[in-house]
Amino acid sequence: MKMLWAIFKKELIHIIKDPSTLFIILIWPVIMLLFFGYAITLEMRSVNLLINDRSHSRYSRDLISHISAGKFFKIKTADVSEADINTLFKQGKVSAIIIIPVDLEESLQTRAKTKVSLILDASDPNAAANITNYLGMIVNSFNRENSKLSPPFKLNIRYLYNPALKSSYFFVPGLTAIIMLLISALLTSISIVKEKEQNTMDQILVSPIPSYALILGKVIPYALVAFLGGVLVIFVAIFWFQVPMRGSLFFIQLMMLLYIFTGCSLGMLISTIAKTQQLATMATLMITVLPTTLLSGFMFPLESMPVLFRWVAQLVPATHYIQIIRGAMLKGNSFVQLADHVFALLLLTFVLLFISIIRLKKEFEHS
Amino acid sequence: MNWRRIRYLIQKEFRQIFREKLNLVVIFGMPFIQLVVLGFAITLDVKSIPFVVVDADHSSMSREIVRSFTSTEFFAYKGTVYSAEEAIYYMDNSRAKMSLIIPSDFGQTLALQKAPEIQVLLDGVDGNSAGIASAYAGQVVASLPAKLYPETSMPTKQVMLVPRMLYNPLLESKLNIIPGIISMLLTMITLFLTAVNLVKEKEAGTLEQIMVTPIKPLELMIGKILPFGVLGFVLLNIGILTSGLIFGIWLKGNLFLLYGISILYMFTTLGLGLLFSTIATSQLQAMLMSLFFSIFSILLSGFFIPISNMPEIIQNFTYLIPLRYFMEIVRAIYLKSAGFLDLLPAILALVIYGSVALWLASKRFWKRIS
Repeated sequence: MKMLWAIFKKELIHIIKDPSTLFIILIWPVIMLLFFGYAITLEMRSVNLLINDRSHSRYSRDLISHISAGKFFKIKTADVSEADINTLFKQGKVSAIIIIPVDLEESLQTRAKTKVSLILDASDPNAAANITNYLGMIVNSFNRENSKLSPPFKLNIRYLYNPALKSSYFFVPGLTAIIMLLISALLTSISIVKEKEQNTMDQILVSPIPSYALILGKVIPYALVAFLGGVLVIFVAIFWFQVPMRGSLFFIQLMMLLYIFTGCSLGMLISTIAKTQQLATMATLMITVLPTTLLSGFMFPLESMPVLFRWVAQLVPATHYIQIIRGAMLKGNSFVQLADHVFALLLLTFVLLFISIIRLKKEFEHS
Repeated sequence: MNWRRIRYLIQKEFRQIFREKLNLVVIFGMPFIQLVVLGFAITLDVKSIPFVVVDADHSSMSREIVRSFTSTEFFAYKGTVYSAEEAIYYMDNSRAKMSLIIPSDFGQTLALQKAPEIQVLLDGVDGNSAGIASAYAGQVVASLPAKLYPETSMPTKQVMLVPRMLYNPLLESKLNIIPGIISMLLTMITLFLTAVNLVKEKEAGTLEQIMVTPIKPLELMIGKILPFGVLGFVLLNIGILTSGLIFGIWLKGNLFLLYGISILYMFTTLGLGLLFSTIATSQLQAMLMSLFFSIFSILLSGFFIPISNMPEIIQNFTYLIPLRYFMEIVRAIYLKSAGFLDLLPAILALVIYGSVALWLASKRFWKRIS
């Protein structure tokens, strides 16, 4: 125990002695938070739309005023020819072009359906689909008003858990998954690899310190820093972004600790594979950060992925952790409701811990 | 300037890289894996939204409505439950993201010639998906009258939108994501390798050994940048080949234009990497700085969050991110076969960033080694 304490103190001194690194590590969560809390909304607004009104009639003006209501579009009007379209899109000046035909007024009175062409830059397919959906709704309401037809059904949509659809509710709790993993896995792996690189590991190994004390002493300080980062994020989420806390804070913190364990195990595992700090960092990035941001449901909904990747996502610890923290914070889920994910996270952690300890032990005995 | 000295230095760098097998795996294998995994997995399309049904009306009309929801690929039917409470229980447990509720007075209201209500509960946690799901639900409900009473509800005087999707008619996410991943990987790998390299020599004390040799600062700098530029270029080609052979996405525009601009862009990343390595005091710091910069760049580059969605202040901020321009260029060349003149403003921005980065780096570098 005393030896564990000694190693623990040594690592802590390492952390404190290098304030600029600590600063970089702790400023991370803050900037990410501001960013995800404010900048990142997947909802679209001020889309550049060019309208070429060739009809210049009462109807076309009415249609344009329907479209320009709201913040969705930033509208410019100009005459375009077929040849201009490609240039406009290539230069990225507009995302969509509407061409209202010359005979709009006449056609509306004589024909049942009048075609208005909408040309989209679908190189961002998601945006193109959203724009089409949005304009579809506008045109529907324009048609209803025009034909004085009352809709036969009323659609009443209610959003649960996040009635205002704030993206900070979605992103900020999930952000702890990335920040804590980055801190725990990266710092743990670097602290072990650094000793290997500088050959100080051998000096520790010849001392009478048992290997469990060495491992724990190295891991715990970084686990603490990671926990600090995570708690910081949760507090900012609750008090600054007013993300509701409907579940038990104690349960959430317990889960955060479990997840940090996962991160540290991953870090140890990486440290047994990588020989240099550079490799350790790159491997940490590739193995932990990217899957955590992209394959965990942090940003991209898992249901839309191909089946194979939905299975792969189940192997990413963050998938379960994010389900747990979102469920507990936003939906007030209890342990029982989240039991599947808690057990999955426990299982993944134990497997990782087991493999990394075996590998570390083998490495210590070899040297 | 003595090219022989530079050549030796470059030889040394390459030897150091190739000596370690794992290095090669990380530098070349990982990007390949990333490209494949992300290219298949990332999609912002929202489909198969799991939903449960509460049909309190039990009429042929209500069944028809439920059928219209189950028959689209947007929604995935997960079962029928008996009350709204039970539906909410499903949503609490995340087993459903939507509930479709047809109230018990549905048929009655309809018989009175009034518009009955169809209720939809959506899980709002993921606001984006919820918004899209509500648009889908709106579409399904809007299409109902034509299905249920084909004779009476055909409104006249209708405007119909005819969308034409240029460059990506099937709206496949991968066409947008893959050129993005190529630009992202090129940024990260070149930045990381350069940033760490010099610090590593400092930490190991080999930098002093190099400095006592007759090598000149400029030669040292070229020797430290060029190898990683070459690696970056190889990486770019791996990216192009992978996306072509595996995803069938080949460049529509001019390959040499892409090459030229990529080399131009690497001046920025290599210069920044060198700058970081002169500022950092340890490898960890150099890596954290590059990591910091890359993640920031990726988020603000419009890779998966369109820049037009961001608040005005942050939109202005994105002009400071070189990757923003590069991403725009790569996508435009890849999908729209944009030419030099179309891309001129973005290219000019890269010229400016490249020169500034190299200038700053060389200034610090000179100071550092003399």
